[in-house]
Amino acid sequence: MMSSFMFMVMEAWRALGSNRLRTLLTMLGMIIGVAAVVLMLAVGSGAQYSVNQSIAAMGSNLFIVLSGAQTSGGRFMGMGTTPTLTLGDAQAIGQLSNVAAVAPVVPGSAQIVYAGNNWSTAVSGTTPGYLSVHNWPLAHGRNITESDIRTEARVAILGQTVSTNLFGDTDPIGKIIRITGYPYLVIGQLSVKGQSLNGQDQDDTVLIPVTTALHQLFGSQFVDSVRFIMAQAASLSTMIQVQEDMDALLRQRHHLRGSKPDDFAIRNLTQLAQTASDTARVMSLLLGAIASISLIVGGIGIMNIMLVSVTERTREIGIRMAVGARRRDILLQFLLESIFISVSGCLIGVCLGVGGAYLVMGLTHTTVIVTGFSIVLAFLVAAAIGIFFGFYPARIASLMKPIDALRFQ
Amino acid sequence: MSAIPLIRTLNLSKHYDTAVGKLVVLHEVNVSIYPGEFVAIMGPSGSGKTTFMNLLGCLDVPSSGEYYLQEHTVGETSSDQLSKFRNQLIGFVFQGYNLLARLTALDNVALPLVYAGWGKEKRDVRALEMLEKVGLARFASFNPNQLSGGQQQRVAIARALANHAPLLLADEPTGNLDTATSDEIMMLFTELSQRDGVTIVLVTHEPDIARYAKRLIHFRDGRVLDDSPHTTSGSTSVPST
Repeated sequence: MMSSFMFMVMEAWRALGSNRLRTLLTMLGMIIGVAAVVLMLAVGSGAQYSVNQSIAAMGSNLFIVLSGAQTSGGRFMGMGTTPTLTLGDAQAIGQLSNVAAVAPVVPGSAQIVYAGNNWSTAVSGTTPGYLSVHNWPLAHGRNITESDIRTEARVAILGQTVSTNLFGDTDPIGKIIRITGYPYLVIGQLSVKGQSLNGQDQDDTVLIPVTTALHQLFGSQFVDSVRFIMAQAASLSTMIQVQEDMDALLRQRHHLRGSKPDDFAIRNLTQLAQTASDTARVMSLLLGAIASISLIVGGIGIMNIMLVSVTERTREIGIRMAVGARRRDILLQFLLESIFISVSGCLIGVCLGVGGAYLVMGLTHTTVIVTGFSIVLAFLVAAAIGIFFGFYPARIASLMKPIDALRFQ
Repeated sequence: MSAIPLIRTLNLSKHYDTAVGKLVVLHEVNVSIYPGEFVAIMGPSGSGKTTFMNLLGCLDVPSSGEYYLQEHTVGETSSDQLSKFRNQLIGFVFQGYNLLARLTALDNVALPLVYAGWGKEKRDVRALEMLEKVGLARFASFNPNQLSGGQQQRVAIARALANHAPLLLADEPTGNLDTATSDEIMMLFTELSQRDGVTIVLVTHEPDIARYAKRLIHFRDGRVLDDSPHTTSGSTSVPST
């Protein structure tokens, strides 16, 4: 029985080989469909991966509390223009239950000098909570401490980009750098974080105690006011409660009663991140779905050609039946041919799709991930399409009456 | 002649329903053919001889009546069973040879054995043996379009015999061949009949060809007109078409 099957496989090969151009064109539908599916899934999962990476780097269960908008003659100046948030607000938020960490931030930029090198970068005044809020461990050295805050110590933690530009490969810890002319002791070095979602280099930064930033570096006109406060909830499920608590707390602290509008805004960053992640996943699915349509079109191409082939070979079917082929032998023969087309097309399509994915990666420098899953899926779908679209023509062939098939001219 | 017929028909009839009414092609035909016989069926076009042949060959099913092939009752069988009869009991030789163009002579001869489920080596040995029998062993690897008409018909005969079918049905086997080649083919049939005891039923409208048979059955208007054992000089009553 096995050798008969092999004979049929060889015959399918010969039958398809006898009309190479037609076989190739039919296969092309499958090739393009499979290549499109593999490529689109690779691009989609690459995008999803990048988004998830950025989200993980940002920290989880995050809130950002911004100070309110200033109005000048009826014109709103944008969020953060009114210095309504204070260090006291940040401390009070830190006391709330289910708040894991809090970090007020006073951002700015400054010129930093070490020996003959200088570098202009973002300098943020903040508190020890900054690192845990951003899920950002130190490469080495130590974090800012409460006593640094109290004493307005001139200490600094360097991001990797800053460290590399000022110190090269040497260890910066214990060295003295100058920020706008004043000496600061380097106490720590941040681990590499990479790009943010919008492409900024997050490692190009320096952290100093918030009090030092307020009173010495930037010399704020409003004492103790911070631009924004980062807060981290203990878990995803407590986020709504934490948001409500913070809102109530800040309204109380800012003496806002009744219908007076908030002079601050609380943003849920995790929600944004979740949205971004969902968007990437939906996009990935959508790309796959659109590509699948071409696979179905390819399948219809196979069905079309198999129908033509069955009609052309009616006499052959009659001869086979005359020498003893059963209905299932004829069915199997034509089914084998359509499966042959779809699976070979799939093989070539997978190669093209994977090649295309790496080409896209090389040309655009975006992350592209070819998963084994997408290849296995493409194969299964191709085989299923071969069987599904091949079955109808094969069945027509198998149900022919031998006498009619033999008489066919 | 054996006492048990290889073929026995009982009021075998075939009709078609057409727009103008029932078209009777075969009307209550009763024929018995015994193992080893060499029978020629003659008659003008439309006499029902080809329809009768198709019924004998299990390519078609009768409208009424019964057909016994060996001990089997053909009328009540499934399509798979009919395929099995065609595969194991019947060998066909057609006017147009009906070889598969893509296959070599050897693979064409081996085709019935594929459907009988034989292994490749066994098939090839047997097919070569059959080609040798019809004198074409050295053309085994040729494709049909590389062979002459007579050679193609020999390959077809080899195919018909490959599975040791006891019954050979030939429908105008010499219709496409010249006289000399026709005679060669008919000599081969005679040899198969006499030496191997193959039962041969031959449809033809040429008296010269029918001459080789040992028994003549004449059809006209779907009925058996005349069933005579061996006439030496062929029938004179055969109307030409």
